Amino acid sequence: MSMTRAELQDAATKAFDGDLTPDAAHSWNLITDMGWLMMAVPEDQGGLGLGREAVGVIHQALGRTLVAGPAIAQMLVIDALSAAGGQDELLGRAMAGEIMSASLAEGLRAVPDADRASHVLRVEAGRISLLPVEGLALTARATWDKTRRLFDVDAGDAVGVVLAQGDAATALADRLSALRSVALAGDCLGGADAALAMTTDYLETRRQFDRPLALFQALKHRVADMKAALAAAQALFWARTEDSAADAVTMGAMKAHAASIYRLIAEEAIQLHGGIGLTMEHPCHLFLKRATLNAALGGDGDQWEEAAGRRALNA
Amino acid sequence: MSDALDSLRQEVRDWLAVHAPKDWRARSTSEAAFLELQRSWFTTLVKGGYAVPHWPENWPGGGRSLAEQKVIYEELARADTPRLLLSFMSTYHAASTLFEWGSEEQQQRYIPRILEGEIWCQGFSEPGAGSDLAALRTRAERRPSFSGGGDVYVVNGQKLWSTMGQFADQCLLLVRTSSEGVKQAGLTYLLLDLKSPGVTARPIHQIHGDEEFAEIFLDNVEIPVANRLGEEGQGWAVAQSTLSSERGLTLLELSARMRGALWRIGDLIRANGRSEDAGVLRDFGRLASKVDATCAVADQFLANRIAGEERVGDASIVKLAYSRTLREFTSLGLRISGLDAQYHAPITFGGGMETGNWMADFMNSYAWTIAGGSDEVQRNIIAERLLGMPREPKNWVVKEGAA
Repeated sequence: MSMTRAELQDAATKAFDGDLTPDAAHSWNLITDMGWLMMAVPEDQGGLGLGREAVGVIHQALGRTLVAGPAIAQMLVIDALSAAGGQDELLGRAMAGEIMSASLAEGLRAVPDADRASHVLRVEAGRISLLPVEGLALTARATWDKTRRLFDVDAGDAVGVVLAQGDAATALADRLSALRSVALAGDCLGGADAALAMTTDYLETRRQFDRPLALFQALKHRVADMKAALAAAQALFWARTEDSAADAVTMGAMKAHAASIYRLIAEEAIQLHGGIGLTMEHPCHLFLKRATLNAALGGDGDQWEEAAGRRALNA
Repeated sequence: MSDALDSLRQEVRDWLAVHAPKDWRARSTSEAAFLELQRSWFTTLVKGGYAVPHWPENWPGGGRSLAEQKVIYEELARADTPRLLLSFMSTYHAASTLFEWGSEEQQQRYIPRILEGEIWCQGFSEPGAGSDLAALRTRAERRPSFSGGGDVYVVNGQKLWSTMGQFADQCLLLVRTSSEGVKQAGLTYLLLDLKSPGVTARPIHQIHGDEEFAEIFLDNVEIPVANRLGEEGQGWAVAQSTLSSERGLTLLELSARMRGALWRIGDLIRANGRSEDAGVLRDFGRLASKVDATCAVADQFLANRIAGEERVGDASIVKLAYSRTLREFTSLGLRISGLDAQYHAPITFGGGMETGNWMADFMNSYAWTIAGGSDEVQRNIIAERLLGMPREPKNWVVKEGAA
C-alpha cells in the first residue's frame, strides 16, 4: 500500500488524540474529511485503494477512543456500491459523507443512525439493494452502549436500487461480511488497547496498603495475561487483513477472537479499577458495553467459531 | 518476500523431499531408536548444510540471515521432520556462548566437535535454584592440580533439569566461587567434560514417561581453570549469553508445528463421531484461531527482530502465547478422546508436542509452561519490563521463624 500502516496509524492517532467519546458530528466531519470512508475504494473510482489493512487501522483508531457514528455501516454501503459498479453518483455522495447505513447484524436490524441516513443497504438471499430511507418505518433501539445509535428498519417489500443478484449477490454478501468483521475486530482491538493502557495507568497511580497496586504480583500477572492475549490477537488481525484470500469465515473467526479479547480486557479493567470502575463517571463501563455489543454484532462467537471449526475439520 | 528467499525455500523443500526421514514416529518407540534417529538426522542436516544456519559465516553451515533461518525452520516444520532435541543445546547454547566468550583455542577445540555430534547440556538449575537461578549453591574451589598442570576448580553440588544430560558429553556449568556481595557476582562459568571422575548423571522420570532431562551430581570433580569462560565472578554475564542464545526461531517452529498438527484433533473429532457436535466444533474453531494467533505473534516477533525493533519482553509474550495455547490444544484432544486417552499407550520418543497420545501430550505441555522461564516469570517480565510496572522490591526477607 502506498501509505504505510505506521503513517496511517500516526495520522489516525493525531486525528483522535485520546479524548474518549469525542463529539459525534465533529468526528464524522473528521472521518469524511480525511477520506477514511473511501480507504478501500479503488483509485479509479475516486477512492484511495488502500485495502483492508487500511480499514483495520481506521477502525482501531475509532475503537480506541470510542468514536460514535455509522462509520462501519457507511463503509459497507460504499464497498457494496464500489463492488457493484455503475453507481458512481451514489458512491460519490456516500464517500463525501452523506450518511447511508447498513445492518451490522442480519436483515435490517441494528442499523446505525438510520434516522440520519438517506439510504439503507438491504442484504437478502440472492439480492442486495440500496433503499431510500424516506417512507421506511424506523424503530430506535436504545442500547446499553451509548456510543452507538441502532435502529430496526421495516422496509416491507421496497426494492430500491438493486446492486447485485443471484451468485453475485451471494459473493458480495460474503465480501461485506468479511469487511464488517475486519471493522468490528479493529474496533475491538483499539478499544482493548485503550482499556488496557487505562488499567495499567490506574494500577500505577492507585495506592492501597501504602504502595501502588501495580506492585502486587497477583494484579501484575493479570495485566500481563491481558497484554499477551492482546498482542497475539493484534498479530492475528494484521496477518489476516493482509491476506487477500481471507474470506467471511476466516474474518468472522478473527472477529470472534478479537471480541473475546476485548471482553476479557474490559471485564478485567472494571475488576481491577475496583469501586470506581462501577460508576457511570468513570469510562470503564463504556468499554465493557461496546465490547459486548461488538461481540453480538456481525455474527457472534458461537456462529463463527462453529463455522471455523467445521472448516478446520474439513481442511 | 524476496526472490532469494523464495529460491532458498524451494531448495530446502527439494532437499527435504529427498532427505527427510519418513515414518519416523512409528520407529521412535524406544530411547535407543530415538537416539539413533536424532544422531542420523543431525548428521544428514550437517551434510546438507542446514544444521547450524545461525552460526557465523566462518564456520561450515553458518552465515544465514535471520530471514533465511526462518525459511529453513518453516520448511522443517512443514515437512514434519524430527526436531533436533539431542543437539539443540550444542548448536545453540554451547556454540553461541563459545562464540561470544570462548578464546580462539576454546572455539577451535569445541566447535568442530559439535558438528561431529558431540552433545552438550546445561548445568544451571539446582534443587534450590529454579526461577531464582542466581541462588545456586554448587561450589567451585580453586587449587593447584595434584597431577601437575595448571590450577583446577574442585566442584561439589547438584544440577537439575539438564536437557539430554544423561546422553551428553560436555556441560555448560554455572558454579559459585564466592559468597561475598550480591549473589550474581559470585558465579563463574565452566566447561565440564562429563566423563570426568566424580560426575554422575541420572535421568529424571517425567510424568508422561519420557526422560528428556537429567540431574547431575558433582562430587569433587576437577575442572582445569583453562576450561573457564570469562573471568572468575563473571559467570552471570556469560550465562546471559547462553540463555539468550535462541530467541524466536524455536517458538516460530513450534507454533508452525502446532498449526500443522491441527489435523490430529480433526481426525479425533471424526473418529469419535463428534463431527456434528456444535460445541466441539466451536471449541475446535476457537482453538484454530488461537493457534493462528500464536503463529502470527511469533512471526511478528521475528519480523521485529529482523528489523531491529525488538523490545524487552516481546519474547515473553510469544512464549506465554505458545505455552497457553499448547495447553489448550492438548486439553481439547484429551477431552474429546475421553476414556480412550486414559488407557496407557506407549509414548513416541522425541515425537514433538502433539503426538496424538493425548494424556501424554497434555502432561508434556507442562514442559512449556514451566521450563525455559515459567509462565509466572514471563508474566513478571511482561508487566515490569514491557509495560513498565514497578519492579518488586529486591530486599524482602522473611524474618527467622515468621514463615
